[in-house]
Amino acid sequence: MGADLSQVLAAHPAPPPAIDVGRMRRERHQRLQAELARRDVDAAVLLRSSDVAYATGQAVRGVDAAHAAFERPVAVVVAGEERPHLLWDDVDPGLADDVEAHPAVWPELDEGAESLAGVLAEIVGAGRRMAVDEQSGAMLRRGVFGGGPLVDAAELVGAAKLVKTADELACIGEAQRLNEAAMPAAQAALRPGSTRREVAGVFLAELGRLGVDANLIDPIFQRMPRSIADGPRTTTGHVAFPTGADETFAEGDLVWVDAGIDHLGYASDFGRTWVVGRDPDPAEQRLFERWCEAMVAVLDVLGPGVSGGDLCRAAEAAHEGERPWLPHFYLAHGVGVESAEMPLVGTDLGTAFDDGLVMAPGMVLVLEPVAWEDGVGGYRAEEIVTVTADGWHHLGSGHPYPPFAP
Amino acid sequence: MNGDELRGARRERVFEAMDEARLDVVVLGRRDSVAYATGAVGLWTAGTRPFGAAAVLVGGDRSVHLLSTWDTGVPPEVPFENLYGVTWNPALMSEALGAIDGLATARRIGVDALSPGFARAAGRLAPTAELVPADDVLGAVRAVKLPAEVGRIAVAVGAARSGVDAAAAALRAGASTTEALAVVAVALAERGSTVPTSAPVVAPVADGLVHVDVGVLVAGYEGGLGRTVVVDGSPDFRLDAQATAHQRRLLDACRPGATAAAIREAAEGASGWMVRGTGMGFERPVVTASLGDGVVLAAGNVLSVEITVEGIRRRDLAHLGADGTAAL
Repeated sequence: MGADLSQVLAAHPAPPPAIDVGRMRRERHQRLQAELARRDVDAAVLLRSSDVAYATGQAVRGVDAAHAAFERPVAVVVAGEERPHLLWDDVDPGLADDVEAHPAVWPELDEGAESLAGVLAEIVGAGRRMAVDEQSGAMLRRGVFGGGPLVDAAELVGAAKLVKTADELACIGEAQRLNEAAMPAAQAALRPGSTRREVAGVFLAELGRLGVDANLIDPIFQRMPRSIADGPRTTTGHVAFPTGADETFAEGDLVWVDAGIDHLGYASDFGRTWVVGRDPDPAEQRLFERWCEAMVAVLDVLGPGVSGGDLCRAAEAAHEGERPWLPHFYLAHGVGVESAEMPLVGTDLGTAFDDGLVMAPGMVLVLEPVAWEDGVGGYRAEEIVTVTADGWHHLGSGHPYPPFAP
Repeated sequence: MNGDELRGARRERVFEAMDEARLDVVVLGRRDSVAYATGAVGLWTAGTRPFGAAAVLVGGDRSVHLLSTWDTGVPPEVPFENLYGVTWNPALMSEALGAIDGLATARRIGVDALSPGFARAAGRLAPTAELVPADDVLGAVRAVKLPAEVGRIAVAVGAARSGVDAAAAALRAGASTTEALAVVAVALAERGSTVPTSAPVVAPVADGLVHVDVGVLVAGYEGGLGRTVVVDGSPDFRLDAQATAHQRRLLDACRPGATAAAIREAAEGASGWMVRGTGMGFERPVVTASLGDGVVLAAGNVLSVEITVEGIRRRDLAHLGADGTAAL
């Protein structure tokens, strides 16, 4: 079965990557402009790292949230304009022609909020209909937007980025290829007695050697319990993942792996299950086979016009009627400038939401079913696919499933 | 002070500051403010996150409520009943928040940031409450460190130093900059951290000189160190001594009571510099040539002090004690 899945994935290769960064930025800008027009918004002010990345190409940096909040590029997209404004001192030289650059404004500081208000007065003007994704405390104190109603820019950007361009798909595929390339060294470092930190250090070192732009998540190598009752305690009654906990590995541990890196502003999402120091036993191998069955069943129905609900039902049918995914997550999520974004399939938004979510060419799905058998444990891995005009393409580079399949 | 005591001391300071600012409830979305006020440790991700109610503190009963589906990373003093799980469904989130005693009746709710979505939700959950920015209240508390925090920052600086030293050794042995970055990652992991605060810098500048700068989170606190490393050839002792002396002047100027003007005067002549708070990440105050006009430094501040003089860069973390400023 593992071999079947690998063959299915290999039979749906994505076209070779040919990333045109300038074209990608222009096409994203057009989509944002279309959303501004559709929502009758005059300007969107974007502070969130991923929204700024989408609007301007100024990629999310591999820095902590507190740094990202203070040293913060801000994007302003004004309806009808040809280029976005980027308020940032270290504009990537490659962006120079595609953005209208302004000095950084430091919106976390009161004086920075004042500067931002000044820039907005200059480039947008008063009395306009504004969207914003987030405001700092300083912006609230200053009353940067006055008291008027604000449109949620997160929804606006979310709609724009739901369907990816060919260049965006190629970026995601390349991010995934680099992420996968760094994993064999990490897997070799996973031994009885090694710690999560050591394995993560090996992975991060490989990223450095590969020249990866940024690491987006503290890499997860989590030893999973065999039974839900072994804890940790959860609000869902299922297993806890990913907790971010540090631990020391022992022979026979089932380890769930999850990592994400950035390439040209786009995130990868790598997921696998590893076994420490030995091959899987027959019961563990059976988990993997059941995981493959769920994957193949979903991929079998995936294509344009299929709903998220259809995908959920296909996965359940292949899994004795049970939902083969974690209840606090999803069967699948999108990936792009964020490591998890719409379309979200199988969440607690419910069946009606899933049924209304219709797949369209250019949507990206990170499929992450989980096969769990209490007492044995679980197998979880992830594969990225994109919906095409007549089916789907695989955006991974064919990373195998050792030690479950070569 | 052990971890339990430090967490308790920080939390009490936050509740006292809430009382003074007449905040009945605070809703925190930022990783670092949640970590400071509650001690909760979640999975680290890069960049900013969408604003959401990651923690809710209720002044009346001194209770802490956390967004977490599991009890891993949740401090023992927060009961399991006070956890609300990750949800994608705004209605379920509203329901969970609505169940928190004291939220619906709050008159003033402080937030560390705000999204239009949460502003709407707060209007439904606490219709009579005024939503007010509380980032300044938290920032003022955090800017003055407890002695136990300074000790933890010093440990984190030690980790950063091991990263800088490892990069320097690798570069001198002929490693490329990408290999040096790899060496930094391994050295930091050995010292207990796989989480950067700032992006690690290994940047050749000129004539065998490489800027190396490492910022890292260790057990919740930020360490950092920046140096210009001589990779080959003999070091220019005159330039190095000049940068070191200028950094000393800037550090000495960063003393309790110092204004931005005094700091700028000490930095004059440097080609680049920045003074900013540190603790659980990037913090207030921030002083540069153009920012920080009203800043007055206080005893207990811990600052990241960075200067570049004739191509030689130094960054040190320094603690402002009552009797002087000491690099950590």
